[in-house]
Amino acid sequence: MFAYILRRIVATIPVMAIVALFVFSLLYLAPGDPAAIIAGDQASPADVERIRESLGLDRPFVVRFGEWVWHVLQGDLGQSIFTNLPVTHMIAQRVEPTLSLMVLTLVFSVVVAVPMGVVAAWKQGTWIDRVVMLLAVFGFSVPVFVVGYLMAYAFALQLEWLPVQGYTPIANGIWPWLSNLILPVLTLGGAFIALIARITRATMLEVLSQDYVRTAKAKGVSQAPILFVHALKNASVPIITVIGLGVAGLIGGAVVTESVFAIPGVGRLVVDAILRRDYPIIQGVVLIFSFVYVLVNLCVDLMYTVFDPRIRY
Amino acid sequence: MSITYNGTGGVAADLPDVLPPVKKRGRVLTFIRRNPTLSAGGILLGLIVFMAIAAPILGTVDPTAIAPARRTRVPSALYWFGTDMLGRDVYSRTLYGARVSLIVGFAVAFLSSIIGMLIGVCAGYIRLVDTIIMRVMDGLMSIPSILLAIALMALTRGSVQNVVIAITVAEIPRVTRLVRGVVLSLREQPYVEAAVASGTRTPAVIFKHILPNTLAPIMVQATFICASAMITEAILSFIGAGTPPIIPSWGNIMAEGRALWQVKGYIVFFPAVFLSLTVLAVNLLGDGLRDMLDPRLAKRL
Repeated sequence: MFAYILRRIVATIPVMAIVALFVFSLLYLAPGDPAAIIAGDQASPADVERIRESLGLDRPFVVRFGEWVWHVLQGDLGQSIFTNLPVTHMIAQRVEPTLSLMVLTLVFSVVVAVPMGVVAAWKQGTWIDRVVMLLAVFGFSVPVFVVGYLMAYAFALQLEWLPVQGYTPIANGIWPWLSNLILPVLTLGGAFIALIARITRATMLEVLSQDYVRTAKAKGVSQAPILFVHALKNASVPIITVIGLGVAGLIGGAVVTESVFAIPGVGRLVVDAILRRDYPIIQGVVLIFSFVYVLVNLCVDLMYTVFDPRIRY
Repeated sequence: MSITYNGTGGVAADLPDVLPPVKKRGRVLTFIRRNPTLSAGGILLGLIVFMAIAAPILGTVDPTAIAPARRTRVPSALYWFGTDMLGRDVYSRTLYGARVSLIVGFAVAFLSSIIGMLIGVCAGYIRLVDTIIMRVMDGLMSIPSILLAIALMALTRGSVQNVVIAITVAEIPRVTRLVRGVVLSLREQPYVEAAVASGTRTPAVIFKHILPNTLAPIMVQATFICASAMITEAILSFIGAGTPPIIPSWGNIMAEGRALWQVKGYIVFFPAVFLSLTVLAVNLLGDGLRDMLDPRLAKRL
């Protein structure tokens, strides 16, 4: 067990190395010569050359990559071209809204989607099943910002139940924080709920046709324990796998949701950085989000052993 | 040699009289009845493709014509979808915008399927490169695809071509994984072993025996990639990293309408509805295609 965890952690290293190589190439290939920018308009070619040497920009790719990785491992992602602040500092300032949004969405989606999928599988072929599957297709098809604007229009502008846009830190109280996040969470959750509901239904259908479910029915176990204890427990591995993979979509969706609802999070930071061509920030955000994604899926892999003790490594 | 009954003294000779005459239903109608999802998606997508191609003759004006005198008009008989803050006709822009989404969707689906298929077959069939290819794909897949596309777009100028390339790169790993999985299971099939044993050369085995069998799952996957590429394009344009603002794409129209959405919601609303309908059509087509080609595929995708 311990050896397995260790092996799994070691296996993520080459993946992260490839991500790092890609992200570094991004800055390496970025248009614009940093030396020329720092030197300014008045500098002679010799000045630019001197600055390039002092920054170490004339050294080969591999050396610079190695140095960059060394800095990243020490928590240094460079400086923003625009504000000259450290990238890690700028990201740290924006983490709270993004983390709140994503964690709430994750919890909300799982709580809504899993029962939806279970009921759809239980009532297979009935109108309940059809409605759930129809909702799932719509959830996939309606892009995140479309849901966002419709929700904001209905619940914030017309009904005035919730604030239209913005974010209140959790330190200012739970309700102000939550009321600002309800619409973004519903928005971001749409596609995620569709994804989880679909896989839950498909896996449950398979499990419900197993012999032990029939046995449980035959010995008189009532419906709810059969569905949620006997069947769902055995269907959990594919479901958590899909939830883990779906986090990628959640990250992409967060970027858009933060733009729609004017939430000052990491997604907003990267959108602003694109408009300003602030490459170190784009690089840092891509690297950190990818790292989170890999980490989430590592946890999912490790959770298999908890949810399904038959899986031994 | 065939056996014929002459109708006299045969065991089952006079049966046809008892059966009701077979109704000759139209082939198209039968197909629609058997594949409702596929047909609904196909018809809807067909309408949208027609709309995009026939945009110039559907009562549109120049979608880029600026007219400050008629800014932000609400939808009316004259301006069906209203006008935006530069006085451009939203109806015309929405119809022309369909072209960008469809081109991006189809081009990405086509390119990533072809490239992903080639890489996937190599990985599945040639053991030596398998580990290297799959590690690289794992790495690419650990960057959320929208972020990957954003990062690539940050390197270049916004153009439809660059958007297609950026989204294609982000989608290739998914196709590669799928194809590799199919190839790995196909290469153990008896008919492939038989082909190898009878001296068929490797390229012939790949092109004649392996590739044709990967087509069904790839086609289904391609429809889903098409749908997700259209959404990604709209997202990229929406956050200002996609097609240049001169080109009327749905993402651009929404990005421009964003500043006014609380008062002039229709500018965002119309392209949003069309985008959703198009993506829905492609998704329905994909679901239907999957059910038609192989119901068991549902588990794999």
